[in-house]
Amino acid sequence: MSDPLALSAGSAPGAAFRVPPARAYSERKPLKASRLDQAAARVIGRVRVGLAGWAARRYARIARAALAQADDIAELSEEALQFRIQAIRGALRARKTFRDADIAEAFALIREMSGRVKGQRHYGVQMMGAAAILDGRVAQMATGEGKTLTATLAAGAAALAGLPVHVVTVNDYLAERDAEEMRPLYAALGLTVGVIKEKQEQPERAQAYGCHITYCTNKDLAFDYLRDRIALGQRASDVRLKLESLHTSASRLAQLRLRGLHFAIVDEADSVLIDEARTPLIISAPAGSQFGTEVLARAMEIAAALKSPEDYLIEAAEHRIILTDAGRERITGLAASDGRGEASAWRGRVTREGLVRQALSALHLFHRDEHYILRDGKVVIVDANTGRVMPDRSWSDGLHQMVEHKEGCDLSGARSTLARMTYQRFFRRYPRLAGMTGTTRGVAAEFWTVYRLPVVRIPTHRPVQRRHLPDEVLPDEAAKWRRVTARIAELHARGCPVLVGTRSVAASARASTYLTGAGLPHTVLSAAQDGQEAAIVAQAGQRGRITVATNMAGRGTDIKLGPGVAELGGLHVIMVERQDAQRIDDQLAGRSGRQGEPGCFQAILSLDDPLLDGSVISRGLARRIMALLGPDRGRAFGARLLRHAQLRTERLHGRMRADLLHSDQMQDRILAFAGHAE
Amino acid sequence: MSQSLFSQSWYRVAALRPRLRRHAEIHRQSFRGEVWYVLQDHQTGRFHRLSPAANLILCMMDGRRTLQEVWEAAARRNEDDPPTQDDTIRLISQLHGSDLLQGALPPDLAELAERSESTARRTLIARVKNPLALRFPLFDPDPLLDRLAPYFRPIFSVWGLLVWLAVVISGLVVAGLHAGELTGDVAGQMLSAQNVALMMCLYPVIKALHEAGHACAAKAWGGEVHEVGVMLLVLFPAPYVDASTSAAFPSKWQRMMVAAAGIFVELFLAGLAALVWATAEPGLVRAAAFNVMVIGSVSTLLFNGNPLLRFDGYYIFADLIEIPNLGSRANRYVFYLIERYALKIEGAKSPVTADGERPWLFVYAVAAFIYRTTVSIAIASFIATQYFVFGVLLAGLALFGTVVSPLVKGLKFILTDPKLNRRRSRAVTLTSAATGAVLALLFVVPLPYTTMAQGVVWAPDDTQIRTKTDGILTTLLVEPGRDAQAGEALATLEDPSLDSRVAVLEAQLVELRLRYDAARLGDRVQAQILNEQIASTQEILRVYRERQAGLTVRASQAGRLIVPGAVDLPGRYLRRGERIGYVLTADDPVVRVVVPQTDVDLIRNRTQGVAARLAEKPEEVRAGSILREVPGAQQEIPSMALATQGGGIIAVDASNPQKPVALQSIFVFDVQLAGGLPFNVLGERVYIRFDHGAEPIAWRALRSLRQVFLSQFRV
Repeated sequence: MSDPLALSAGSAPGAAFRVPPARAYSERKPLKASRLDQAAARVIGRVRVGLAGWAARRYARIARAALAQADDIAELSEEALQFRIQAIRGALRARKTFRDADIAEAFALIREMSGRVKGQRHYGVQMMGAAAILDGRVAQMATGEGKTLTATLAAGAAALAGLPVHVVTVNDYLAERDAEEMRPLYAALGLTVGVIKEKQEQPERAQAYGCHITYCTNKDLAFDYLRDRIALGQRASDVRLKLESLHTSASRLAQLRLRGLHFAIVDEADSVLIDEARTPLIISAPAGSQFGTEVLARAMEIAAALKSPEDYLIEAAEHRIILTDAGRERITGLAASDGRGEASAWRGRVTREGLVRQALSALHLFHRDEHYILRDGKVVIVDANTGRVMPDRSWSDGLHQMVEHKEGCDLSGARSTLARMTYQRFFRRYPRLAGMTGTTRGVAAEFWTVYRLPVVRIPTHRPVQRRHLPDEVLPDEAAKWRRVTARIAELHARGCPVLVGTRSVAASARASTYLTGAGLPHTVLSAAQDGQEAAIVAQAGQRGRITVATNMAGRGTDIKLGPGVAELGGLHVIMVERQDAQRIDDQLAGRSGRQGEPGCFQAILSLDDPLLDGSVISRGLARRIMALLGPDRGRAFGARLLRHAQLRTERLHGRMRADLLHSDQMQDRILAFAGHAE
Repeated sequence: MSQSLFSQSWYRVAALRPRLRRHAEIHRQSFRGEVWYVLQDHQTGRFHRLSPAANLILCMMDGRRTLQEVWEAAARRNEDDPPTQDDTIRLISQLHGSDLLQGALPPDLAELAERSESTARRTLIARVKNPLALRFPLFDPDPLLDRLAPYFRPIFSVWGLLVWLAVVISGLVVAGLHAGELTGDVAGQMLSAQNVALMMCLYPVIKALHEAGHACAAKAWGGEVHEVGVMLLVLFPAPYVDASTSAAFPSKWQRMMVAAAGIFVELFLAGLAALVWATAEPGLVRAAAFNVMVIGSVSTLLFNGNPLLRFDGYYIFADLIEIPNLGSRANRYVFYLIERYALKIEGAKSPVTADGERPWLFVYAVAAFIYRTTVSIAIASFIATQYFVFGVLLAGLALFGTVVSPLVKGLKFILTDPKLNRRRSRAVTLTSAATGAVLALLFVVPLPYTTMAQGVVWAPDDTQIRTKTDGILTTLLVEPGRDAQAGEALATLEDPSLDSRVAVLEAQLVELRLRYDAARLGDRVQAQILNEQIASTQEILRVYRERQAGLTVRASQAGRLIVPGAVDLPGRYLRRGERIGYVLTADDPVVRVVVPQTDVDLIRNRTQGVAARLAEKPEEVRAGSILREVPGAQQEIPSMALATQGGGIIAVDASNPQKPVALQSIFVFDVQLAGGLPFNVLGERVYIRFDHGAEPIAWRALRSLRQVFLSQFRV
């Protein structure tokens, strides 16, 4: 970009000078929702779900207006284009809200620039999606519709209008890839792009966040915000912060990473805002251990001596242990039985039982390779939701040390919490929030009630050609894998690329064993989420490929079909386990049949599916019913049973999210005396 | 959730250094042998009961220690049951909510404003939800009471008690001596129009003295009284004082005395009034004394002294059994029992803090609930009958408060409470089963259905022997109790004037005839006149002769002669038409039953059997059947025995002295008893039970509700 031109336009200051922000640290005040408000929001949410398609009409109008200008703009010279961009920059900045005409013009200009710089011109539906995003909505666009490119329109237009934009992706690799891919376009628009990477320190991060547009992961963003909040502390009113920055160079403002929260475009909005909503974000510092090694060891001993139904109950679904009255007595007896009962930790009933309960949880609720893995002799937590490892996280109240004790690792030091929050709370603080996602099935109402985000359905560029085969349900795991391998062998023989979707890394490993046993060459993706993985996924559409991956693996990566594959029916996706929500199944299905390509989706399931744990109809009974009903109706019955279990899980998770939000709000009210929360 | 010592939110409060504000005062009290502390907030007049552990935490909060240090010290002190971090946070939060905390943090003005708004909203909602007890504060009587203290303080001493006892006991004795006079027709006396006016004048005075009693008692032991006002209790103004500072008194007897002072005052007044009443001449003073007696004793003990209502009695009772906050904790205890044992929620928290509280809490919760529901429905329907639209609105509100809102809350709890997350299906099943059982009991299970009524033994009109003319009964020709033939002479009457009148007439007739004979030949006109006179006199004579014949009373049918009071009869002057007795056959006496209009339809259409008990032989049940019914409603009642004055159940219009007339229309049925009735019980009361088979309760309730709406509200 040429500076003289910018100055002559008179509206856009160069990078050297930045107007001080209107607010020292922007964020939305917490939504004060009374019970009536929430009830109304639920109703409005439902209504808005119904209107999701209708709302798209306005965005279609904007897209049409932009396309109408396309020919005129295409004829503009480079200088003239730059001049128009600076002009629209001024127009966008001049108003508090965006006018449709300005948006259309900005989109048309960005589109043209994209065409000149990258050779990609946005489709009409992409502009529709971008208009919806700019309007603070969730754009529901089918997988493979080019959400990354869509985001450039909205991010570009917002950045031109002077809004700091955070483009939020689900992993580092995607953030970096998308930023690098789009950097030339943004540069041509006169916008700077920053990327947040895992190992960056504060000054680097502050610089990245200081760019017009910042690509980051939800995790980095939320933690940076949390760190900022710690730095700001209490007494952080706008005026106070500004005054402080006047009289001292080491003001709190100087230690911040973010410029506050302005506008976030969340990619995979359902995954970030819904599935990860409950993920606690905790910043902790090392602290003296509450309990010594000896105490922890003793707790583990006592826990090992207790027996399940008599002394304690395991509530697997709620993930907790309940001590029975008999168990309490036994603990008292066991703790007092040897001289060590005199230690202070064992004298108090509450402390004593708390310790044993933690120990029981460590023994029976937390399993290796499911909840944690061992890496370099350390216990590393695995996120139950994403299957990703969380090296910097630890459980609280001695639990982490007990698990370490159980695995025979060195005990780590205890840590104490400095700040904590959830994604749910975090993203509600954006004054302007928008998202993109492939599917919002079943959660559109929640988007509204929790984030005040209406969903807009954007039509596909080309009609979807994916075939859905009916679900197959087999009585047990072994039969399922026989069927799966047979099916894969059959497809493989034809040269069809196959993607096997599993629920967890462990299931992927199991699938790999069976496939190896059947002599089928395949690639397994762990949830490393890096460039290599993306490359493998990108190759999954090649002829004769067999790829096994969890739902999370290689997200956001386009699976392009190899030559001749389209004629064979495209990528064939086989789902071997139902996910926690139908929405996530849909995401898996969306791996095939992108952009109007052919594709096929098939679910081969069994009654051993983990979803059926705790179902009303026991597995044995279900098998008998299936056998009774015969193959066709039996399969339908099994499919319905699984679907029902999935719905139940969806509802349970939905309720847990709502409960969490509610209890967060209650907590805030109770803790009002402690000043505002993070 | 299981109890955990640590809280995830602790990090937010650990470093705070809070301090209690100066206006908060802590008092030590003992409940059921355990020490508790009562935190008194002089600014808001509120009290918080603290456990010793909480008190320790409070005392250590000096603005220099951090909460972490405070908590650790408290946990060290109470190793067996340390306060959890969550408990501590809740405690601090409560104190903050009452503005009792001072900390390093600047006050959050927005939060303060929000809190005061929500308090104001809650007060308003409380008023709207309970329009039957609105409070209007008037002034602060504390300075006045301070000045008056030297005068009333001596009352609260042994001497005061002795004087009180003397008056109350002598009042009791006097009332006992005049028990008959006092209890006879209290309702009639109390509810007459003049008396209601008198009572309206006396009531506020007595209640004002009652409240003054509270205020003085609170003051006498060093409390403060800062609010006096008027409360609209069921739309009737009544004074109130806020003597809640007495909650800080260390001795439970003092606390009880403050609560009981009002009742003491009223009993004292009642005692005085009894003495006045016994000595005064009938008149206004005596009437006033009577009213004071009733208000000061019966109404006070029933209302103020009743622990099931939230009046004085409740506080006295709660202090007596040393269970503070009895009402709400009793309710919570019942919910706890349901949660713990019906719904099997392991972590349910019991509100019981001391041994021996359980039975009290349980019994109190159940009794108070039943009582409150009954009373509020009664009050609601009472008001509804007085002022229709307003009344129905109020009744609806009362119904909402006592029935609908708890139901909605319960339903919401069952359907959404996170505590039930894993037990929801159990909870839903249990609730549906319980609801189903109750509904089945109400709507499906048939229960015996009867109507009770009263009647009298009644002889049909055509069996009665009545005199056809006035006269003195000289002799009964047939001995009572003996059979008589149809047409047989039963008694003779004597009317000397009748005989002489006949003799005069006969003489007159002879004279007229003679004069006629004389005039016949001479004066035709005169003869014609005399002839007319003869005819007229003959006619008069015929009438008198007939009357004379009527002096002999004859049986109209064969049967046994029954003459009530036969011994007194001879020599008595009887007017024409007066009843001498009956000539009865075995079938004749029936039971004439009077029923109010609400029961008519049932008895008419659904009676499957009739059972009767005679008042003289209540142990003997006799079957019967409806013989006939008077098809229309009537007002006259057949016998005074059925009126309320006669011990019956039919209310009679007292303003009509001639005839007993029922206030509401009645219907009359004749019931014939199998085996007939003895002749000697005529006029006796009979208790009749009409059996309507079996019907579930709900349908009956619906029917009577419909009738109530028709009759009371004319809709």
